[in-house]
Amino acid sequence: MPAFVALYLLFDWATYIDPFFGLNITPWNPDPALGLVFWLRHGWRAAPAWFVALLGGELLVRGMPAGWAVSVLGSLWLTAGYGLLGAALRRQFGDGGVFDSRDRLFQWLLIVVAGTMINDLGYISLLSAAGLIPAGQWGEAVLRFGIGDMVGVLVSMPLIWMLSSAAGRRRLRATVWRAETLGYLALAICVLYMVFGTIATSEFKHFYFLFLPVIWAAFRQGLFGTALIVFVLQAGIGALVKWNHAVNIAVHELQMLDAVLALVGFSIGIAVDELRKVASELKQTMRLAAAGEMAAALAHELNQPLTALGAYGKACEFLLERGESGDVLKGAIQRMIAESGRAAEVVRRLRDFFRTGAMKLEPVDPCQLVAGISQQFFAQMREHGVELKVGEMPPQPILADRLQLELVLRNLLANALEAVQEQPPGARRITLSGERLDGKRRGGKLRKGGCLQLTVEDSGKGVSAALAARLFEPFVSSKASGLGLGLVLSRAIMEAHGGSLWAEVDDHGIFRLALPLARPLEQDGEQVSYAA
Amino acid sequence: MQHDLTVFIVDDDPSVRDALSLLLGVRGYRTAMFASGEAFLQAWQPAWRGCMLIDIRMSGMDGLSLQMELRRRDCRIPVIIMSGHGDVSMARAAFKADAVDFLEKPFDDGKLIAAIDEALARARSVHTEQQRRSRSDTLLSELTPREREVMELVVMGRHNREIGPALGISVRTVEVHKARLMAKLGVDNVADLVRITMQD
Repeated sequence: MPAFVALYLLFDWATYIDPFFGLNITPWNPDPALGLVFWLRHGWRAAPAWFVALLGGELLVRGMPAGWAVSVLGSLWLTAGYGLLGAALRRQFGDGGVFDSRDRLFQWLLIVVAGTMINDLGYISLLSAAGLIPAGQWGEAVLRFGIGDMVGVLVSMPLIWMLSSAAGRRRLRATVWRAETLGYLALAICVLYMVFGTIATSEFKHFYFLFLPVIWAAFRQGLFGTALIVFVLQAGIGALVKWNHAVNIAVHELQMLDAVLALVGFSIGIAVDELRKVASELKQTMRLAAAGEMAAALAHELNQPLTALGAYGKACEFLLERGESGDVLKGAIQRMIAESGRAAEVVRRLRDFFRTGAMKLEPVDPCQLVAGISQQFFAQMREHGVELKVGEMPPQPILADRLQLELVLRNLLANALEAVQEQPPGARRITLSGERLDGKRRGGKLRKGGCLQLTVEDSGKGVSAALAARLFEPFVSSKASGLGLGLVLSRAIMEAHGGSLWAEVDDHGIFRLALPLARPLEQDGEQVSYAA
Repeated sequence: MQHDLTVFIVDDDPSVRDALSLLLGVRGYRTAMFASGEAFLQAWQPAWRGCMLIDIRMSGMDGLSLQMELRRRDCRIPVIIMSGHGDVSMARAAFKADAVDFLEKPFDDGKLIAAIDEALARARSVHTEQQRRSRSDTLLSELTPREREVMELVVMGRHNREIGPALGISVRTVEVHKARLMAKLGVDNVADLVRITMQD
């Protein structure tokens, strides 16, 4: 509480700029923002402290220009008015986040604007009635006080809100504690100097330059960066106005511009935050889907050691029943241990994938890879009357995570198998071929050592130009079942390998993927090793 | 349990092969292991008797192809298919090709033993059947062409009176042929004669 009062008084003093008739009518009043955050955190219990702070401000900062009675009355009114505003915000947002979504941002904006206006009308009317504001100046006073409060709250409250909780402080620090922040702050200072350096004469026709650092911060760091830059700009403007004693300019108009600047920044910031949230959720979904497919692939590998373990275990049981305890039993138990290690290795890989999506890059022989994969499909292909042709593969190994690459190829072959089933039997053909490309990769990026291009062609009806454009978007699927994540994942996997995956528009299906070749390390007789 | 029959294990995973062989060996079955379908086919001899335990997914020839190839070679060893992933279409294909059972890995030993016992029982009945058939085949091959003609008509239910004119021989000759062929085949009534000929 004392800390709150002290901070409040400090704010009041620092922003006591260009006062109207020596009263607490200034163009920028961030202190209510502090009070509102305090209220949001503590509810009605904030009222006494706030009252003390308001009265203290009158006494210490302004020397009680309105006299005791009016000051107490005014402070009471302001406490009640701000209190209502705080209560409305608290009711609307509870203890949850105020600045989490665009909807909430606009609700906050409406409440703040309406609340400060009502407060403003009452307070100025009171001062007017007490004869502190000359007749005819009432409108001007309402405008100035209203704008001062409103802008003060709009510009400062997000940052104060973030600073008021440990979680907010952590996130703010994590967001803005980087070199880039210095960049936009430096830009802000330059722009401030350009716009206001000669403020007494140039007015503020170059104000729009201030949008640049705000947009920078909003795009790169979302709402948290925006809150910081907006506060810094406002403080900068206030300081420049105070130092230059530029009291003759229309400071409240400047403040309106600043409020709009802040709102634009917050809107962009929140949109950026929401976009990032959705993107990370999507990434999570994709990782889950990938893990699901990985799990299916690994289930097979897990089955082998489990089967062996079960059989060894049962055999040991019989051996013991027979009263044997010699080498046979010992051997069986040793093999059980080895098998459980093998199972653990499989589980470890799955867990690694869940945790990081980690890749284990190693030189993979394309011939073996393709033979293994097509092998798994032969039975299925035969059942559906599909002719699967596997072309010659270049002998150079490629650099890949075998399991993930198998996932991609399986995916492509499964898609092809599905595509050809619309064709009559006899016209169902799938070709898997590979060729070595030197130098250039699709996309124009040069790569030393060349790459391997694998092509899966099917005799299905192919990919139309319209579908090709959307094919690699998540949740676009021509299949009745499935998330439509297969191709998205496959492309993500390929790109993580430094390769690419694309579909060609043709009258039959063509999917191509390119992968970097492993660099030969040394040529030692017949042994050639490859670097990862 | 008499185990003059062998369980032939075909799995490309050495541990699974080894573990199954140990388990079955401890239970008193005679086992033989093969790392691939090709290896089994190369070693296979028609005289082998028992049942097969085949993994469906192997590098090289897969389990279903091996099953097909065995049928093509007229090898009647009963087959149990093992699968690491419960693929319905594969199971269907396996049963269509007359598999005894379809075991999903990992399986418990009770199921395995039950499947193997059923397969071995089937192997035994196939064997008895085969022996009986080969015996009657030898017997039938000892008949003269005329005796065979007479037998076919007898089996069709014709009387001696009808057979004679049909073959252009006397009824008396028909009776002689009939008595001879029944003696050669070791049957004393027409019903048994029919049974022997029915096997073809």
